[in-house]
Amino acid sequence: MKLKKHPLIFLSSLILLVFLSFNFALLTGSGNLSSQEFFSLFFSLIDGTASPLHQSLVFELRLPRALAAFAAGALLSIAGVLMQVLLRNPLADPYVLGVSGGSALAALLAMLMGFNTLWLTGSAFLGALLSIFLVFSFAHSQGCWTISRLLLTGIILASGWGALISFVLVISPPEKIHGMLFWLMGDLSYDRPLLPSYLILLFGFIFTMAISRQLNILLWGDIQAGSLGINIRRLRTYIFFISSLLTAGAITLAGSIGFVGLVIPHLVRLMIGTDHRLLIPASALMGGALLIIADTLARTMLSPQQLPVGVLTALIGVPLFLYLLKRSQ
Amino acid sequence: MSLKIKNLSLSIADKAVCTQLDISFNPGEFWGIMGVNGAGKTTLLQTIIGLPNHSTQLNSDSGKITLNELNIYDYKRLELAKNIGLMLQEYEYNFPSTVLEATLIGRHPFINNWQWENKNDKTLANKALDAVGMASFSERSVNTLSGGEKRRLNLATLLTQNPDYYLLDEPVNHLDLKAQLEILSLLKNIFKQKKQCGIMVIHDPNLAYRYCDHMLLLYDNGQWISGKTQDILTQDNLSRLYHCPIHQLNDEQHTLFVPLHA
Repeated sequence: MKLKKHPLIFLSSLILLVFLSFNFALLTGSGNLSSQEFFSLFFSLIDGTASPLHQSLVFELRLPRALAAFAAGALLSIAGVLMQVLLRNPLADPYVLGVSGGSALAALLAMLMGFNTLWLTGSAFLGALLSIFLVFSFAHSQGCWTISRLLLTGIILASGWGALISFVLVISPPEKIHGMLFWLMGDLSYDRPLLPSYLILLFGFIFTMAISRQLNILLWGDIQAGSLGINIRRLRTYIFFISSLLTAGAITLAGSIGFVGLVIPHLVRLMIGTDHRLLIPASALMGGALLIIADTLARTMLSPQQLPVGVLTALIGVPLFLYLLKRSQ
Repeated sequence: MSLKIKNLSLSIADKAVCTQLDISFNPGEFWGIMGVNGAGKTTLLQTIIGLPNHSTQLNSDSGKITLNELNIYDYKRLELAKNIGLMLQEYEYNFPSTVLEATLIGRHPFINNWQWENKNDKTLANKALDAVGMASFSERSVNTLSGGEKRRLNLATLLTQNPDYYLLDEPVNHLDLKAQLEILSLLKNIFKQKKQCGIMVIHDPNLAYRYCDHMLLLYDNGQWISGKTQDILTQDNLSRLYHCPIHQLNDEQHTLFVPLHA
């Protein structure tokens, strides 16, 4: 609770953490370096005296991947915060309303048909959008939407998607299954366009910051928020679409990485409380950093074998979360 | 300045709450609303603040609610929130926040987007917490509060909002006897001094008699009576309201209503 009094120190240390995790990601890889080599590589990269091989390895392969990991982590963390506000439930995560299911199904179908990466990301995004609109139109049909109706619609649709995903996995040829399972658990290994995700992240972040005080109040319930001058219906619609868009951006970038969107907001809340003006930027930075670290470990721990990054986010996140939970009592 | 209900007919799921209700709430007055469970007292409060439940039928062709002669549905919500505030009967909150943060949300209508609470807002919130006896709780987490402390916190939030009209849904529920008297006399003093108006749902006729100067009784068939407390709170009216005989006891200083066996 003490960190709360010094929001700027807290945010600056998170920025430092992001910086360090980028360093970690850029300098770590197959072919182990001693710490001395590590530092000399770091400085040679900065003053441009590194070998061309190192330059291209770091800036053409590792940097884009670390940037993708950061964006995915930040997108998922903000989406998680928003979904928890929308459902007024700390247990909600970005996937609870089935956005990832529609997206995953579309991506798997694209893989099954052998489309290239660009088509794959495109169809994943379209699948997410389709899922969003299905949930919205069903949950919204009577002109009003209660939390339980929204949750019920989302969960039902998610199980529908789940069944279709299993179906696609079963009928797919064995040589494609590995790639599909990787995608389902979160995969940052293939080359992808970064700009759209960063545009979504920027837009989502600014928009969410603009409504951050309203988010604080919405947690007290619709009537209380309405009596304090908030247009509930409009705000809920905004939150629904923004969080879904952010989730769609993350899935398109990295597949459905679990755990980040649920645990990062909690972790940050344990440290600094619930004020969204602080919670949102802090969650974005923390989520981005966690995913960079997790992805770097995923590609190096068993190298040359790569692990799905979703496995690592849980392996790092679970003990970290349990530790903070214990300490906060 | 006044809040007026004109010719309002309300019903929930085809059950009448009030038919052709006409009332004028004026500055400095402290109103009590009484009625049996499910009579629609909370619904009426939520309708007055322009947030009717979706199952509420509002016969808007006949009735309207006006604040300073302007229909409340023509107000911007933020503008309305500067004039009318609501204290809910109950709330549920599952996130870690401090008591001070919870109190400060009352300032929301007065702070621009992108702006933070300033010193003045914090002073108001701390004063409100002090007034309800919660000054020492300001850094406590709201999840650790007892039922009575939660009621005080809600009241502090409303005091921080500082509207002209306080809609209070059972504000002394969960409070101990002494606290009930403290809170009600605090409210009564505020309304008198600041020329604000309270509209309170309450179940205890003795507290209502002691603190409210005006009363509205909602009978369960949509009929209602309103007026000065001495004229409205009689044993006959209360017996009719609650469908059970209620006896009035008087001595030199006190009037007490005692329910007899039904």
